[in-house]
Amino acid sequence: MLALIRLLQLASPTLPVGAYTYSQGLEWAVEAGAVRDEAGAGRWIGEALEWSVAAFEAPLVAQLIAAWQAGDDARVAALDAEFVASRESAELRAETLQMGYSLARLLGDLAEFTALPGWRARLAALAEPAYPTVWAAAAAAWQVPAAQALPAYLWAWLENQVMAAVKAVPLGQSAGQRLLAGLGARIPALAERAAELPPEAWSNFTPGLALASSRHETQYTRLFRS
Amino acid sequence: MNAPMPRSTLDLPMPAVPSCGAGWRAELELGFARRGERTVLVRNRHCGPLRVQKPLYPEGPSPCHAIVLHPPAGLVGGDRLAIDVSVGVGAHALLTTPGAGKWYRSGGANAGERVACLAQTLRVCGGAVCEWLPQESIVFDGARGELATEVALEPGAGFVGMEMLCFGRTGSGERFRDGAMALTTRLSVGGRLLWRERGRIEGGSALLDSVVGLRGEPVVGTLLAVGAGVDEGLRDACRQLVPAAGEGAVTLLPGVLVARWLGPACEPGRAWLARLLELIRPAVAGVPMRTPRIWNT
Repeated sequence: MLALIRLLQLASPTLPVGAYTYSQGLEWAVEAGAVRDEAGAGRWIGEALEWSVAAFEAPLVAQLIAAWQAGDDARVAALDAEFVASRESAELRAETLQMGYSLARLLGDLAEFTALPGWRARLAALAEPAYPTVWAAAAAAWQVPAAQALPAYLWAWLENQVMAAVKAVPLGQSAGQRLLAGLGARIPALAERAAELPPEAWSNFTPGLALASSRHETQYTRLFRS
Repeated sequence: MNAPMPRSTLDLPMPAVPSCGAGWRAELELGFARRGERTVLVRNRHCGPLRVQKPLYPEGPSPCHAIVLHPPAGLVGGDRLAIDVSVGVGAHALLTTPGAGKWYRSGGANAGERVACLAQTLRVCGGAVCEWLPQESIVFDGARGELATEVALEPGAGFVGMEMLCFGRTGSGERFRDGAMALTTRLSVGGRLLWRERGRIEGGSALLDSVVGLRGEPVVGTLLAVGAGVDEGLRDACRQLVPAAGEGAVTLLPGVLVARWLGPACEPGRAWLARLLELIRPAVAGVPMRTPRIWNT
C-alpha cells in the first residue's frame, strides 16, 4: 500500500517540478488554429499520447525502472542519453532537463528517498538527467510495480496536457474533466502495450508535433515554456 | 555516462549486412582524404549494384563530389544495402544520388517477412566536412523497408545531412496503405549522442493522418547540420525563410540544427531545404552553396 501512496505523490500535479509551465507544442497548435475547442484538444492530446508518449517515452520509462531496479546504471545512462537526444526541439529538450533537475533536487530533500542506501549517489552520477530518468529512479526506489507506474506516468502527462488545454484554448473545467475521462480510458491498453514494447518498435516519429514545438519557440505571446 | 567512445569514429564496425537468398546484397565503402589542397577519393570499394563511378570536382580541388549509383534504382523486399563513408581529417566530401530513390512494393508469398534494408554509416573526422544530400526516396504502397542512418562525428567535424521521404507515389494519387517503414537515425559527436530518432510508419496507419504525425501530407523532410558555424544566428537566419508550400520549422539543439518540413509534394520541400543550404553550407563548410548539377537533370 505504501508504494501506491508514493506513486500518487509522484503522479500528482502538485509535484513541484514545473510541469504546469509546459504545453509541449499544444499552445502553438492553439495559436495556429489546429486546436480550437474541446474536440480539437482531445484529438491533439490523444494523438500525442498514442504516437509519441505511449510509443516512445512510456516504454523507455518501463526499461528505466527495470534498469534502476536491476542496478544496471550503464543501461540507465544509455536510456537517459537516448531520451535527451530524442527531444525534437530546443524547448522540449530544455523542458525534460529542467524537470529532471527539479525532481532530482526534490528527491534529495526527501529522507524517504535519501535514506534508501545507494539511491542518492546513483542519481547524482547522472550530470543532467532527463525527467523520466529521475521519475523512474523514484518509482524504482519506492518499489512501485511497473504495471502501476506506467499508467500513472501516462496519467500525469495527460492531466498536465489537459490543464494546458484548459488554459490555452481556453476550455471550461467540465470540458477538462470530460477530456480526462475520455482520454484516460485509453491509458490501460497503452500502458500495457508500452510495458512490453521492445526498443526496435519504439517510435518518436511525430513530425506534426516536432513542427509545432519548434514553431512555439518563436510564438509571440505565450503562457507556456514549450 | 555515455556508451564507450570509439578511439576514432573510423573504428566503428561496418554495418552488418546479413546475406540472404533472395534480393540484392550490395555494399559500398568510400573513403575521402585530404591531399594538399585536394580531397581525394582514396577508397572506393563496392560489391553488388552500388557504386561511385568517379569523383567529380565542380568546385575546384575540394570538395570532392560523389554520386552514389544504385543501378536497380530501387529496393525490393529482401535487398540488403550498406553504404559506409569515411571522411578523413581536413577533407570535404559531398555525396548525392542521381535521382529519387525508391522503396518498391514487397510482393509475393511471405511478403511481410521480406524487408528491404539500407544501412548508411557516415564517419567524419575533426576538421573534415561531409555533406550527405541524397535526393528524395519514394516509398511505394506495400513497401517494407528499414532505413538506418548512423552519423559518427569527431569533435570539430562539419556535417549536413538531408532526408526526404515521400509516402506513396503522389503523382498517381497513391497512398501508403500497406507495408511498413522503420527509420532510425543516430548522430553522435565524439561518442556523445546528440540526435536520435526512431520511426515506425505503418501503411494505412492513423499516424499518417494524425495532427501530430504527417497530417495527411505524403512528404516529410529532415535536415541536420553540425559545425562551428551552427549557432543561434544561423538558426534565426534560417527561420526567416518561409517555404512556398507545406510547413517548415527550424530549431537548434546543443550542437545540432534541425530543420523539418511537411508538405504535399517533394518539390517545395526540396526547394526550401536548398534555400536553407545556402545559409548552412557557408556556416558549416566555409564555401557558398552550389547546387549539384545532377539535381537539375
